Amino acid sequence: MDIVRTLVRLWPIHLVVLVVSIVSQLIGVRPIPIGIGTILLLPLLFAFVFTLVLNPHVVPAVGRFLSAKRTAAAGPLIVIAIMPFIAKFGTTIGPGIEEIVRSGPALVLQELGNLGTILIAFPVAIWVFRMGRESIGAVHSIAREPNIAIIADRYGLRSPEGTGVMGVYVMGTLFGTFIFAILASVLATAEVFSVEALAMACGVGSGSMMAACSGALAAAAPESTDTITALAGASNLLTYATGMYVSLFVALPIVERIYLRVRPNDPANPPARTAEEAAK
Amino acid sequence: MTTYTSEEDFVPTSDDRSIVLGDTLRDLAVVTLISVPLQLIATDLTVLQVLAGLAALYVVCILGLLLTKYLPFYLPSVAWISLVGIVLTLPFMPWAEWFTGLVVGIDFLAMAVPALAYAGLAISKLELDVMRRSGWKILIVAILVFIGTYVGSAAIADLTLRFTT
Repeated sequence: MDIVRTLVRLWPIHLVVLVVSIVSQLIGVRPIPIGIGTILLLPLLFAFVFTLVLNPHVVPAVGRFLSAKRTAAAGPLIVIAIMPFIAKFGTTIGPGIEEIVRSGPALVLQELGNLGTILIAFPVAIWVFRMGRESIGAVHSIAREPNIAIIADRYGLRSPEGTGVMGVYVMGTLFGTFIFAILASVLATAEVFSVEALAMACGVGSGSMMAACSGALAAAAPESTDTITALAGASNLLTYATGMYVSLFVALPIVERIYLRVRPNDPANPPARTAEEAAK
Repeated sequence: MTTYTSEEDFVPTSDDRSIVLGDTLRDLAVVTLISVPLQLIATDLTVLQVLAGLAALYVVCILGLLLTKYLPFYLPSVAWISLVGIVLTLPFMPWAEWFTGLVVGIDFLAMAVPALAYAGLAISKLELDVMRRSGWKILIVAILVFIGTYVGSAAIADLTLRFTT
């Protein structure tokens, strides 16, 4: 009867989620036109903001109604709540399999686009913000769970690299859905890239970011919704399979090498490597 | 219930194999039920159609979870759930038409709303501390990381599509 007891203990959380979700769904998709395109505010973004305001850590006064201990139980529920969503995505890939196969090369190659993180974020971290080795953790990937595991395994989470990856992880948790919804809606309405390409780029290995990204695309191009979900879902699945290896064997060695070249005398560098670099 | 006491405890990686099936299926059922009113708002489906569609997705999740737990090689549960959804709807499968018919009307955007609602509640003190400590510099770096990934992937995909189709 343990199952029932936990359910009874958690009902306030489920109730809050139910009410907030209904309100957000009723608000629907709200477009905000800006010069180069349109930002689309999605129900899932509203839901996140509303529960953020109901979070006792963010607004302490809420603690009287919803204890911090209770909200801690919401953590594992995120993964479970994303499961039916992912299942729905899977069911859009099957019927679109011909299109997926036809876009196979693009789908596989775009995974390398994830290295774009290094291209624009690394220089800013190193030369503009003068960050140390935390920049390695910060820019080697989009810092979702598998990437944190890699950094934790190699450097430990208390290291500078760990601080970097945790920083981007947390920022992604807080703002990732917004950033992807904005990026996707602006790029879709600006018509720089094809909607198929933008859909493939949505699969970054995070369910909620993919949701915001493909949701914004679908709202911008409703006639292509099936194509968008099929390609985004396929790309996301591919990222689960390959993402960890790309960041471990390609991205991390690249940023590690560039960093040692740029800052050979950083005392935080691994000792053997610094000596080796100094000998050159 | 988890309370993080140090950063070492906060490794947000989950070993899906250790999931307690009973608890997970219960929570999954609750989450699925929360989706019922959302689907009724988002779509023109009848209550019966919504229930059938969500039940079908629930079954996909169960199959995916069983594969995660009992297969000898590991993939995250979401990857298995995705694969089960694909296999059940591949056009050449005998049941594909029937199964796709069940879920095709379900609105995917509305399915994501509860997940983000839980996410907002789950933000912990530790995460707010990390944000305060890391400051605006890491926020800007994070935004650039996301722009880099997205635009990088979209550019490569766009180019490749132009050459291959």
